[in-house]
Amino acid sequence: MPRPILEVIGLNKHFGGIYVTNNVNFTMAEGEQVAMIGPNGAGKSTFFNLLTGYHSPDEGQVIFDGQDITRWSADAIVRIGISRAFQISNIFPRLTVMENVRSAVHAHMDVTLNMFGKAEQIGTDETVHVLDLCGLTGKIDTPAGQLSQGDKKKLELAIALAGQPKLLFLDEPTAGMSRDETQETMELVDRLNRDLGLSVLFTEHDMSVVFNHAERVTLLHRGEIIIEGTPDEVRDNETAKQIYLGEQHL
Amino acid sequence: MINGTENKSAAGLFRRLYSSIGLSFPVSGALFVVALLIPALPGAFWTEVATEILILGLFAMSFNLIYGYMGQITFGHAAFFGLGSYATAMLFREFSGGTGEIATWQFFIALAAGPPVAALGAFVVGIFVVRLTGIYFAILTLAFGELLFFVVFSWYSFTGGDDGIQRLLPPPFFRDANVYYYFTLVIVVLAMLVMWRITRSPFGYVLRAMRENPLRTRFIGINVQRYMLINFVVAGTFAGIAGALWGPFTRSVSPLLLGWQESGIAIFMTLIGGSGFFIGPMAGSLIYTFLQAYVTGFTVYWPLTIGLIILAIVLFSPGGVLGMLDARIGRWLAREGDGDGMDAEVPEATPGDLGVEEKGDA
Repeated sequence: MPRPILEVIGLNKHFGGIYVTNNVNFTMAEGEQVAMIGPNGAGKSTFFNLLTGYHSPDEGQVIFDGQDITRWSADAIVRIGISRAFQISNIFPRLTVMENVRSAVHAHMDVTLNMFGKAEQIGTDETVHVLDLCGLTGKIDTPAGQLSQGDKKKLELAIALAGQPKLLFLDEPTAGMSRDETQETMELVDRLNRDLGLSVLFTEHDMSVVFNHAERVTLLHRGEIIIEGTPDEVRDNETAKQIYLGEQHL
Repeated sequence: MINGTENKSAAGLFRRLYSSIGLSFPVSGALFVVALLIPALPGAFWTEVATEILILGLFAMSFNLIYGYMGQITFGHAAFFGLGSYATAMLFREFSGGTGEIATWQFFIALAAGPPVAALGAFVVGIFVVRLTGIYFAILTLAFGELLFFVVFSWYSFTGGDDGIQRLLPPPFFRDANVYYYFTLVIVVLAMLVMWRITRSPFGYVLRAMRENPLRTRFIGINVQRYMLINFVVAGTFAGIAGALWGPFTRSVSPLLLGWQESGIAIFMTLIGGSGFFIGPMAGSLIYTFLQAYVTGFTVYWPLTIGLIILAIVLFSPGGVLGMLDARIGRWLAREGDGDGMDAEVPEATPGDLGVEEKGDA
């Protein structure tokens, strides 16, 4: 097995008396593409929040690429190579598409303390490359807030990719997208995973996306990992059917 | 028909030009030309009004680095204007030894002391205020501003207390209103050029990103508090430059320069001109200071007058005067664009978070 890129050990988080993650242990290998599924409120987004520095865990450890990043700040986690795309598109609405991605490229290039360079001349190639990858080349001058929901999700992905991450978290990457956009986006994610070795952990409610694009599936329920396995193993698991999958996805 | 086509072509050309250079550049150019000609007016009155416009305009522009660009409102920005003015004034006092006369080199050293002292003050205050955002940031800046005001107001032996510091006579060459005006113009234009560069730099992009979405900014790898602090210090430094120019201009400084009323002036000017535009606060300073100079000749009810003006702008043109102008140009271009395949459409300015406008170049 390739070396682990992410190890989560005994992760606990509670809000008041409710445990939103309960002793979660989870490992991802470098270059792996994993889907995390579960009903609404299962704790998937909170799990992402704990791994990306949005929340601090009460207990447990998060180890990324051999380094303990537990309780690191969000910006430090991004700088070490973990990017994230949010469930509800989280963009810079009054900046253009180009400026949105360029800002992330600047942050990755570590030029953001430059007060006298011309921003529009720095990181252009990198920005255009990412926009091209995400199919946004034709919309570079559009204010991000005016994009369609699907394009906002693409931009969200582009901002995350601009940081050239080693590990990418995608929280429902195809929510609000048309069938074609979903197909395009997941093909892009597959390509990044296959060609560049990008490790990807994504949550998704569309089971066709999950079973067609994940190498491994993890089912989270009430803050606990119930089942982990290949798509076929999870699909055939009776507990998974009872908790989440039902019959319609099979 | 031919005329109509020509008109639309002209509109198309203008639209392309306008979308590439925006409003701030031509307005700045026009203001600069007018500024050069002000001393040609008879008497020193309008030259002194113009000097005040420049200094307070620079102060308001420094405020807008925090408000318009970073998306946080400060009610204590005058503290740094005041610190800059006091640093200069106290060195004046030391150099002159009570005679009121200082050498030219002493004048320049005194002026140069203003910005670093203001920057240091902004750094100390900033360490605390950048931990918060929104109304909490605003209230904390107000609290620190009033704290500094009270220190200056009460510390007679060091600051002169509520008497302030008087007799800040610049060297003889700079006492002439026209000379001091042109000197101020040069400093202010240079400061504006540096500010323009900053706002167009990668650092400027970070400010806008923080204004638009601080959470997302963190998740592209930016330490938001750190950048807020840096910008707070940068803005304080420019306020310090304005403050340093103020004392020799009015020949005195007083604790009121650090007070919330003075901070309010920067806010008024920015709202009047338009926070969404780089040159907006300077345009606001022009309108505010000119009206103050003009209206007070007719009525003692200046505060009432300016209150009504602010009310009208907030109600009817939340993007300020430049926002209104920009929206009008946008509507005209949209109208001219109809029917010839052009898709000119400039959305009307709408109030955004903290009054930062949708349109503009900030």
